[in-house]
Amino acid sequence: MAPKKNAREPTPAAAGTTQASATAAGSVPLVPKPKATSTGAANWDKVLQNIYNYYMTETPQRTKLLDVFLVFLAAVGALQFLYCILAGNYPFNAFLSGFCGTVGQFVLTISLRIQTTKANKAEFPKVSPERAFADYVVCSLILHFFCVNFIN
Amino acid sequence: MRSLLSVAVLLFAAIVSAVSTTDDRLLVVADDVADTEAYGEFFEDLESRKFNIDYKTPKSEGLELFRLGERTYGHLVFLPTKVKALGPQLTPNILIDFVNAGGNILIAQSSTHPSSTSIVSFLNELGISFPVERTGLVVDHFNHDTVSASEKHDVLVLDAPTPVRAGIKPFFSGNEGAVLALPHTVGHTLGAGQLLTPILRAPRTAYSYNPKEQSEAVDPDELFGAGAQLGLVSAFQARNSARVAVLGSAEMLQDKWFAAKVAREGGKETVTANREFAKMLSGWVFQEIGVLRVNGIEHRLKGENETNPSIYRVKNEVTYSISLSEYSWDSWKPFTLPDSDALQLEFSMLSPFHRLDLHPIDATPSATVYGTSFTLPDQHGIFNFRVNYKRPFLTNVDEKRTVSVRHIAHDEWPRSFVISGAWPWISGIGATVTGFVAFCAVWVYSRPAPAKKTQ
Repeated sequence: MAPKKNAREPTPAAAGTTQASATAAGSVPLVPKPKATSTGAANWDKVLQNIYNYYMTETPQRTKLLDVFLVFLAAVGALQFLYCILAGNYPFNAFLSGFCGTVGQFVLTISLRIQTTKANKAEFPKVSPERAFADYVVCSLILHFFCVNFIN
Repeated sequence: MRSLLSVAVLLFAAIVSAVSTTDDRLLVVADDVADTEAYGEFFEDLESRKFNIDYKTPKSEGLELFRLGERTYGHLVFLPTKVKALGPQLTPNILIDFVNAGGNILIAQSSTHPSSTSIVSFLNELGISFPVERTGLVVDHFNHDTVSASEKHDVLVLDAPTPVRAGIKPFFSGNEGAVLALPHTVGHTLGAGQLLTPILRAPRTAYSYNPKEQSEAVDPDELFGAGAQLGLVSAFQARNSARVAVLGSAEMLQDKWFAAKVAREGGKETVTANREFAKMLSGWVFQEIGVLRVNGIEHRLKGENETNPSIYRVKNEVTYSISLSEYSWDSWKPFTLPDSDALQLEFSMLSPFHRLDLHPIDATPSATVYGTSFTLPDQHGIFNFRVNYKRPFLTNVDEKRTVSVRHIAHDEWPRSFVISGAWPWISGIGATVTGFVAFCAVWVYSRPAPAKKTQ
């Protein structure tokens, strides 16, 4: 929890600075480009590295948890799709049910992420994170019910 | 004498039941009642088979085939007559109506009497053609009777006929080596109708000529017929199974020829089998043999008890059975199929989806049960179980039973866990749900402490 506190405390104050640093980080690639292309690859490496660092330090723990779940869902969906391409979609309703289950769960989790990140708090004045989570659970249960029904 | 006999027969018939499956009332039309005495044995045989015989001439009073819309006789026998037309009660139209109403007709002609126009027109309707002058004589210089017709060659001596193709019941074949004598035969030709079957055809060396006009030689252009083209005895069975037979030689039914000894050129004398042939021919025409009856039809789901349901489902297993009897002279016997023939069931909507041979699966003393099992096609709709068995010399059998075949119901489809191809997707859903539950547990247990404090 400690690292998180450290991350959280400067967050309201550092909101402006992070934005500035983001723009500063964003402006970095623009400067060297007209100089020489030989350093383009290195610049891209640097950009990705910057993005990764920013992500690891700035995103809250809860959001990272959501992101892990999203990656997991994407992997399951990709696996199912790969299987469909390789081995055919024989019970087509089964393929649709399985694949759309992961896609639907992904969409719902994304919307939970949108509604619960601190950065978007201003855009959802009436929706508390707990309310968003409750909506998420109810919609997910409906989605699972539909998937089980459709696969028969 | 004849009328006394008739009265006695009538009284007798009142006590005993008929042996023909349709009717026991028989009408014999001849020029003169005295003519019929030459056929005494033939009519005695008929009377012993419980027929009620009436003898009339075309001009008789009270001769009518229909009274108040119903047939007055079940069967007719025409003997050769000298009159040109048979009168207003026996017009070709009335004869056709008689056949359409289920009556049977046996027409015996002879070359000594030109056939009457009524008979010729009636037979023309059925597809049987007579020579232009309504008379002709069939002669054979190689198959004639040397005993009685060594000069004129007009008495044919023929082997009893074999069926024209495999699969036909051999009613008229008689015993081994049976020989028929046909004196003064008038030959006819058959048209291409499906309802005609030849019983006895002229041998290859026979031909027909007109003794009056072609006594010297027969011009090939004016030859009416020769060889197997000429039918001597032919049969017609209408779609309602009423029967008409044409016999080119009426004299073969006479007493004289029942017991005659005939010999072919270079052969020895044998007694003719005319009496047996006459019995089989009259038995066939008057519905005493070759009559089929469907006793019952059953279809059901395999293994179920309910018979003849009105609705099935696609791809059901179904068994079908039909019980058939054949009437033979005086009783119903089990029907046995001829050797190379098949009794087939058609399961058809607009055209047959299945056409299956039926096999005998059961037999009772008076019937054989034919049946089969099969799987209904993967097509919904209104289907018919149809047995369409129409063969020469046998009653037409055309039995249809209509059933509906429905789709698979929504709860009759196989469940997804039974289909092995669906297992990857089922595990995909399982993974999603499990991940969701784990995520929710972790989310709930990881409250963001600073967020609560700041709020």
